[in-house]
Amino acid sequence: MLPSSSPARTPETIHPALWLASQLARGDGRGVSSGFEALDAELPGRGWPTGGLIELLLPQDGVGELRLLRPLLAQPQHARAGASTGRIALLQAPYAVNAPGWAAMGVPATRLLQLQADTPADACWAAEQVLRADSCQALLMWQARLRKGDHDLLRRLHVAAQASQTLFFMLRPLSCAREASPAPLRLTLRPAPGGLEIGFLKRRGPLREQALFLPLTPSPNLQRHVSPVDRRTPATAPAGSIPSELAG
Amino acid sequence: MVFERERVAALSAVARTCGVHEGMRRGGVQLLAPEAQLQERDLAREHATLEQTALALLQYTPQVSLAPQACVLLEVSASLRLFGGIRALCRKVRVSIARLGLSATLACAVTATGAWMLARYGDVRTIRERSLRRRLDRLPVALLSAAEAHLEWLYGLGCRQLGQLRALPRAGLQRRCGKTLLDMLERAYGEAPEVHDWVVAPPVFQARVELPDRIEQTDILSAYAQALLTQLAGWLTARQLAIKQLRLWLEHERGRQAVAPTELRIALAAPAWQEDHLYSLVREKLARSTLPAPAIALGLAAEELEGMQPASEMLFPEPGGSAEDHQRLLELLVARLGADKVRQAAPRADHRPELANRWCSVMQSATRLPAPLPTDAARLPPRPLWLLEPPVPLRLVQHKPFYRTPLEFTSPPERIEAGWWEGRPSTRDYFTVRDAQHAYYWIFRQWRGGEWSEEEPQWFLHGLFG
Repeated sequence: MLPSSSPARTPETIHPALWLASQLARGDGRGVSSGFEALDAELPGRGWPTGGLIELLLPQDGVGELRLLRPLLAQPQHARAGASTGRIALLQAPYAVNAPGWAAMGVPATRLLQLQADTPADACWAAEQVLRADSCQALLMWQARLRKGDHDLLRRLHVAAQASQTLFFMLRPLSCAREASPAPLRLTLRPAPGGLEIGFLKRRGPLREQALFLPLTPSPNLQRHVSPVDRRTPATAPAGSIPSELAG
Repeated sequence: MVFERERVAALSAVARTCGVHEGMRRGGVQLLAPEAQLQERDLAREHATLEQTALALLQYTPQVSLAPQACVLLEVSASLRLFGGIRALCRKVRVSIARLGLSATLACAVTATGAWMLARYGDVRTIRERSLRRRLDRLPVALLSAAEAHLEWLYGLGCRQLGQLRALPRAGLQRRCGKTLLDMLERAYGEAPEVHDWVVAPPVFQARVELPDRIEQTDILSAYAQALLTQLAGWLTARQLAIKQLRLWLEHERGRQAVAPTELRIALAAPAWQEDHLYSLVREKLARSTLPAPAIALGLAAEELEGMQPASEMLFPEPGGSAEDHQRLLELLVARLGADKVRQAAPRADHRPELANRWCSVMQSATRLPAPLPTDAARLPPRPLWLLEPPVPLRLVQHKPFYRTPLEFTSPPERIEAGWWEGRPSTRDYFTVRDAQHAYYWIFRQWRGGEWSEEEPQWFLHGLFG
C-alpha cells in the first residue's frame, strides 16, 4: 500500500484544478494579494482571483467595502510609467464618486472611470466591453436586485470575466445571498467595530462558518485629524540678516 | 434574371431549373418562368460597383486595377508578409467582398492576365510559373478576349485550349488573328511585360448606397453601412489617413411626402481607421437612434481627417492592453451609453466638496481642463468616497443628528467657509460620524447666515466613507 503522502495519492499533483474538500484551491496562480494577510490566507489562490466574478454582498453601501479594496486599488497592478495606468472602472456607482476622497485613499483621479447605464442590460453590456478590452485594472459594478430572468446575465458576465485579466467585483445587496450565483467567490461584508466581518458564503475550499474579522483602522480616509487649524511656527529670522540701516 | 439587348445575360439557379438559359429572348422566358423578376442590365451601376470594390480592396495593396469582364486585379506580392501569406490574404479579401454584399471567384497567379483568365474559369490558386503554364494550357480559348472574333475559325482547326493555340505557328497566327491575340497570350504566360492602369483613390470620400426597399430595421441598415465602411477603410488605407469624424445620412421618401434626411455624426476621441471599430460604433449609434421614416438610401462621408499614426508594436506585449485599446473601449461605451454617462474626474481646486468634485465626459480632452492645484492629499482632513447630491437633511433626536440610528461623532469639526466671493457664502462644520452599525458617514452643520445668527443650524448628511 502506498503511503498517504505519496504524490500519486494527492489530487493536486494530478491536476492544478483538483483539490481535497478540506483544502483551499490553489487557483491558477493568478490571485492578486488583497493586502490583508489574514484574508489572503482564506482566499483560494492567496488573493483576489482574476478571471472570475467576485461577489461582495453588503447590508448597505458604505460599510467599508472600498476600504477593504483599498490596498488593491491603491497599487497599480503593472508598475508602468504613466499616471493613467491601472484604471479603475466604476459601473453604476450608487452615489456621486468623490474624486478627492479617492485621491486621499491613494487612487489618483486620473485612474478613475465612471460609467452609468440606464438599463441593467446596458450595464451588463458595458461591463462585458470593459472586460473584453482588458484595459482596466479593476471593474467595480454595483448591481441592485436582479429580476428572475436576469440571472443569465450574471453567468455571461462570469464567462466574460474568465477571459480577462481585469479584477471584476460585483457589489450586491445582502438580500441576494440566498439566490444562486455563478460567481466562484462570494463574500458577505458586515460592519463591525473597528473593521469588517467577512463571511465566506462560497469559495473553492472548505466551508468556513465563522466570519473573519478584519481590522480596517487606521484607514487614511478615516484618520482622526488632530489639528484642524494649521499651526505654523513663525519663521525666526537668522541673526544678522536684517540690513543694519533698517535695524537702526 | 438580367437582360441585355432583349437577351438573357445572367440568371439565377432557380431560373435555370425552369429551363431558361443565356441568350434566350424575353418572350421565351416569360413562357417558361412567368413569375421571374426581369431586370435590365445597368452597365453604369455595374461599373460603379466594380469601382467600389476596387476602393475597398485598396486596404490590401496600393496597386489595384480594373480589368474587363468585371474583374479587379490586385498586385499582392508586397502585401503577402503583412497579411500573413496568400491563404490568409485570400480569406480577408473574401470577407471584404462579402461585406460589400458581393460574391467573387478568386484566383492567384504570377501574371495578372493569367490570374484574370483563371478567375473567370474558377477558384484557382497558383504561385509557381510552371503550374500556371500547365493550368493555362488547359483553359478554353474563349477566355482570351482577343480571340473572340476568330473562335469559329479556331474551333474549325480543332484548337479549343490555350495550349493548342500556342502550338500553332506564330507567324501564321499573327497574320490571321492580329497582334493583340499574341500579345495577350504572351502576357498571360509571363513572356511579355504587363502595363496596368492603377486605381487611384479619390481625394474626398463620399459613398452612397441605394437600398433595395424601404427599410426601418436598424440592424439591416447597419449591414449596408458596413459595406460603405469597407470602402472607407480601403480609402483611408490608400491615402494613409485616419478619421476623426464621420457623417452617416439616411435618405427618406422623396417627392410629395418628402422627409428630410436623418444625419448621424460620429465623432471619435482619437483618430481611427480600423473597419471593425468603426463598424461597432456605427452599429451602436444606429441602434440608439430612432428614424422618422423608413430609409431608402444610405450615405457616408468622411469629415475630419488626420494622418494615420499606426501604433508601434511592442516586442513584448504589455499586459492590460495598450492605450489605443482603452481609447477604443471608451468610444464604444460612449456610442451606446451616451457621452455624459462615461466620465472622467476633473477635480477643481475648491474647498467646497461638491464643487471640488467635478466629472466631465471622456470625450472632453483632459488637457483642456484647468489643472487642479496640487493638494497634498495626506494633509487634508478625511474626505469620503461617496458624496450625496444634494445633501440629505438630518433630524435631531435628543440634540444629536439621527440617520437610521443615532450618530456618534468620531472627529473634531472641520470648518469650511467659502463662497463669499461669489455672493453665496456658506459656513459648514464637517464631522466624521459613526452609526450603531459602525458605518462611517460625513455630515455637516450648516450655519444659516453665519455662526452668530439666531437661527438654529441644520444638519445634513453629505457623504459616505465606503
